[in-house]
Amino acid sequence: MVTHSPQYCRMQLTAKNVVILCVIFLLFGFSNFRGNAAGSTSSCIFDTVWHKKEWQLFNDADDQKMRKEIDFILYMMGRGDLQESLFLIRSIREPGIEWQDSLHFLTGWVHYLRKDLQASAGYLLRVSPESPVYHKSAFFGAYNLAHTGNTSGAAAVLSSVEAEFGTMPYAMRHLQMSGVALLDRNFELFAQHSGGFSGHYHVMAAEERRMLQHYERLRNIPGKSPFVGGMLSAAIPGLGKIYAGKTGEGIVGFLYVAALGLTSYDFYRGSGAGHPLFILSATVTGIFYFGNIMGSAAAVRRSNNELKHEMDQRILFDMHIPLRNAFN
Amino acid sequence: MKWINGFYLTCIFLCATLSTSATEHERWFHAADSLFRDGNWFEASILYERSYYTSTDARGRILANLAKVEAMKEMGEFSRARRDLQRSVTFRGDDTLRKELLYQLALCAYLEGDAAGARSFLLQIEHGFEKLPGHRTFLLNGLVIIDEQRWDELKPHLDRWFQETNVTSELRDDYLHALDLLVMELGGVPSPRDPDRARMWSTFIPGTGQFYAGSAGWGVLNAFSQLAALSGFGLLVWNGYYIAGVFAGLGPFQSLYFGGIRQAGTLAEQNNKSRLDEFQTALKRFLLNVAAHQKQ
Repeated sequence: MVTHSPQYCRMQLTAKNVVILCVIFLLFGFSNFRGNAAGSTSSCIFDTVWHKKEWQLFNDADDQKMRKEIDFILYMMGRGDLQESLFLIRSIREPGIEWQDSLHFLTGWVHYLRKDLQASAGYLLRVSPESPVYHKSAFFGAYNLAHTGNTSGAAAVLSSVEAEFGTMPYAMRHLQMSGVALLDRNFELFAQHSGGFSGHYHVMAAEERRMLQHYERLRNIPGKSPFVGGMLSAAIPGLGKIYAGKTGEGIVGFLYVAALGLTSYDFYRGSGAGHPLFILSATVTGIFYFGNIMGSAAAVRRSNNELKHEMDQRILFDMHIPLRNAFN
Repeated sequence: MKWINGFYLTCIFLCATLSTSATEHERWFHAADSLFRDGNWFEASILYERSYYTSTDARGRILANLAKVEAMKEMGEFSRARRDLQRSVTFRGDDTLRKELLYQLALCAYLEGDAAGARSFLLQIEHGFEKLPGHRTFLLNGLVIIDEQRWDELKPHLDRWFQETNVTSELRDDYLHALDLLVMELGGVPSPRDPDRARMWSTFIPGTGQFYAGSAGWGVLNAFSQLAALSGFGLLVWNGYYIAGVFAGLGPFQSLYFGGIRQAGTLAEQNNKSRLDEFQTALKRFLLNVAAHQKQ
């Protein structure tokens, strides 16, 4: 009963308690002041907020702060804000050695999502073998190199990937190296690596089969010669383009040259070889005739390139899908 | 005494804990505001997002979201701004904030080029709140009406705008009269030319489809080109060059003839678009001037 009496309360308002109350108010004030001060001091330059104030917190061995930061970056990546994610990663200066792998991986992954494969490979391949994301980084880095045409670089990376015999990364390495060998049209090397296809891992069994199909198809494709294409068009205008697989273009080319030839013949028949109309139409016919020959040779080259591109895309696709299945 | 000290310590603990979590969101928000004021839209948008991310209450989130959208709009990222706003669309707290959210959604949709989307949000503002919409909502609605070519609704909409925002009757009559004059000056509401009809005209009388589409020059050029090709054919045949006449005369003629038909349709479509753009731009400028005048 005594504790509830007003007299008792009045008695407790001593100097000591006033000091405690002041401490409470100061704490309130300080925390609010800290919040506002952070806003105002950082008002001019983003770096002030980010690099100095926040970095001081990281330096205080506050791993949780760094984890929080990475969580936020992952959240931004998940939202598809890739430019912002990259900016945030770059804003972290001098991270501890234990964070280097994570940051390299994140940077590489953001570049990969932005389809900037060259830069992505550069960062992913910096991830050390001790990292839990080492295999993912190494394989995706190698794939990115292969996609950008650096097959020798991709082969070098893949041959250095550490993987134990009989494990999934080991089988994946064989699949990726066989893909790189096919991209180089190195059938001998492909035969070596395809020997390691086991078909045991569902994430890549179908792609292993398809790699063998690509190999068969590439071996059996007869190379078409631009010279032969040109000669065929010299014999019959448009035939070289049909040889290149461009049947429509071949027929149109033939009709043009034939129409011009007939027109020239008409002028020759009516006015003779010296008439200006014949000379003009014969010149135009000649230009179209030789143009058709050159065009046929170019069409064969184009057709060869298209076929190569199509096969490369299929191979790259079958290299990529197992990586997505296995590591995502 | 022991209990009182315990009470103080509890207070200190709670104050310290709660005040720290509250200030984190505010801290980012203030920093973002400063960056925004300095014109660093990109960095500000990140910090506003961080404020959104760290905020624990719906009000804080919507405030961060709305502020972020301002930065996104400055960057011209209307589509992403709209996507961000959609996150807060379920907010059912403060009416003012909800109204602002819907207005920003409508504005971003309009700026993104989705007038129908903007209309749906404007309808929600109109029917979802008791308080009447302000000038800017009426303005946006007017712009949407122009974009959607609902010409009959424009004048009643303006009339309602002026009535509900306490514009004097004299001024209201002046505005409406000015609108009538403007439409008259522009030659009335543009009547679109039918591309199929333009093609049909060119099929039967070469060049007339282009005339119908509003491009007389192209019509004359196409008609004379076809005439020249036909003349060439006639001349060659007259001189006994029958094969040459077919290939060098009729060949170009058929290209010009069928090309002319296609061109008539394309020109009708292009001219329709440019006439409409011109008309819409003039009306939009008028509405913006009215809104600016109202602000003053």
